[in-house]
Order: sequence, then structure tokens, then C-alpha cells
Amino acid sequence: MKKKIKSTLSREKLFPDLSREKISSTLSKENLRSVLTKIPMKQKIFAALSTIPFIALGSMSTSCATTCPYGMVNDPYPGQCPRYMDVGGDGFCDFSQTTPTTTTDTSTTDPSTSDTTTSTDDTTTSTTTDQGQGNGANAEVTPDQSTDTNTTTLPDDPGSDYGSLNGEGTNYYVLPVTLIIIGGYLFTYYLFKKGILKRNKHKRIWNLLLTVGYLGTGITGVILTFMVNLGIRTALNQSITFWHVEMAILMVVGTFIHLHINWKPFKNIFRVLFGFKFNSRRDPTKAKGTSK
Amino acid sequence: MVYDMILPAIPFIGGYLLTYSLYRLKLIRKAVHINIWNLIIGLAFLISAGAGFVLLLIMEFNVKLPISPELLYWHVELGITLALVTVFHFHTYWKSAKTMLVAAKRRRSEA
Repeated sequence: MKKKIKSTLSREKLFPDLSREKISSTLSKENLRSVLTKIPMKQKIFAALSTIPFIALGSMSTSCATTCPYGMVNDPYPGQCPRYMDVGGDGFCDFSQTTPTTTTDTSTTDPSTSDTTTSTDDTTTSTTTDQGQGNGANAEVTPDQSTDTNTTTLPDDPGSDYGSLNGEGTNYYVLPVTLIIIGGYLFTYYLFKKGILKRNKHKRIWNLLLTVGYLGTGITGVILTFMVNLGIRTALNQSITFWHVEMAILMVVGTFIHLHINWKPFKNIFRVLFGFKFNSRRDPTKAKGTSK
Repeated sequence: MVYDMILPAIPFIGGYLLTYSLYRLKLIRKAVHINIWNLIIGLAFLISAGAGFVLLLIMEFNVKLPISPELLYWHVELGITLALVTVFHFHTYWKSAKTMLVAAKRRRSEA
């Protein structure tokens, strides 16, 4: 049986014309060069550009580090972003502290932090010091100034408003919310095209949603800015950040919808300010939606 | 880092008042005044939302970039500008905004 299979799957039977010489001649430098020169330049550039996202993804996965993405140092409870995690219970986000390592590099361990469960590496500390940007970092805030360290670890509830706080991702609903909004727009657009929904109503619905998005993002953003400026730290910070992001999704998608609805006034910006001329198939005197 | 809230707003308030007064004095067309501010709101939106999106990706993938703090700073500053220019946008399109908030029929019946 085995012999039969072997004989049927033998190289000679599967590829009767294939020989080592043929393969080497086909893959010869000259052949490859001639094939490559035959490919048009445009196609080459496109192929090269199409690899960028994959390279970026690949480099991202390798460069993923357990450090603060904002570059903050010693970010106290409840933290400035939903990734806040405090395994050691020292009142500071583990990501904002130096990279937790499993190596036993005791020579570089800071004695003041030796009671914590993670060892610290001095070289990392020197490179991740706060540059005075972004949320204040507050490296000078000592643990006794912050809230009780026993309450530093927030409940790991995936269904809560905070998103996932366990450091395994922020769990913002970017894609579902985007798809729901786009689906809703396509639905109302279909109704409008079929004459079931009036143009004004269709516009009104999406203008209202856009306003909600802008108001939500703006208000939560201003609250967050005040909180950072005034150094207010509450358990609500992460919840506000979460809603800031979700409202921003509505705002961004809503803005693109707004541009689609008001496409002609949008084109007019470039026509009026820069003198661009767009090919209009319709009679320009009958064009709708011109700016005031 | 303390974010400036007043300082980035001043040139935009001044600029809006300037173009608005030029339009009222009939030195520029209304379309020019409107389109200048439409362009500004578009640019503020692009930068602020773009920076916000990049920050979101950075957090999702837990990537640390050297420009992250600067990106966050400009996201906030341009966000403040965007909020302010949105108010101007409402002022420019006040009639449409009123229609959006209160149905035209109801307004007619109230009048």
C-alpha cells in the first residue's frame, strides 16, 4: 500500500517535465531579472506599498512593550488611561513604572521599590522619564498623597464602562459602533432614495446625531482637560475617557456622512477659496447646495 | 503638563470676528467668510481626529512611540480649537441649526 502511494506521489509522475536543471534554469538570475523588468513600474510601486501595512503590523507586534503608551512615569491611581493596571498594589500604574521583568538583576534594583513584586531596571527608567508632556505624569506625587493603595486595583469586569482594564486591550467598540452608524446611514439613505423619507428629515437625523457626537466628544474632552489641568483624579476618569472615545467615533463617522450629504458645499470651499473648477455634468445654474 | 485652553482660542476668536466684520462691512463676500471657516473646521477636525485615531491605535496595540506625548498634546489643543470653531459653525448655519432642533412646521405654527 505504502509503495503504491509512494509511486503515485513520486516526483516523476506528478511533474514529468520537472528536473533539477530545469528548475535551476528557470530560477536563474537572468530569468528572474527579465521577469522583473517585464512588470510595469506602477504595479511594482503598488506591490511595494501594499506591503507597508503588513510590515507595520509585524513591527508593531514585535515592538509591543509593557510600557505606558503615553510615556508617563509613575501614573497614580486611577490612572490617565483605561489600561491602568496595578498588580503590585503600590498605587501606581504598572505600565507607567519601569518594565516589569522576570530577570534577577538585583544590582540595579532601586532599594525604595524593593518591596514591590516587580524589579526595576535603572536604564529603562532613564529612557522613559516624563518630558513634561501629556497628562502631567505627576512623577512627584507620592503614594501617601494618592488614594488608599488597597483600592488601586479596579474590578476586572469586562462589561463595565471602563473597557478592559486588565491591560489586555482597551476594549473600545470602534468597529461595531462604526458599522452600526454606517448601517444606519445606508438604511436612511435607502429610505430617502425610495421616497419613504423626506430629504429634510434624512438630513435632520444625521445633523442631530453629528451634533450629539460633537457635544459628547467636546464636553467629555473639556472635562478631561480640566481634570488633567487641575489634577483632579477620580474613578470617573476612565469612564469619561471611554465615552470620549465612543462619542468621537460617532463624531468622525458622522462628519464623513455630513460631508457626503453636503458634498457640493464642501467642493465649494475649494472653488471659492482656491479657484478650483470641478467638472459638473449638470447645469451649474441648477446646482443645489451652493454656499451662501 | 498643563494644557493651554485660552491661548489657542484667542487667534481663532479674533480671526472669526475679523472675517465676520469684513463680511458685515461688505469688504468680502459671505461665501468667502463661510468657506474660510469651513476649511478651518475641516483642518482642525483632520488633525485632532487623526491624532486621536493614532493614539487609539497606539493604546490598542500597546506600542510606545517617541512622539506619543506630543501627539496627545496636539490632539488636546486642536480639540479645543475644534470645539470653538464648531460654535462658529453653528453661528454661521444658525438657520439650519434651528431647523434641526425645532421642526419647521412647529416653528411656523408657533409664529
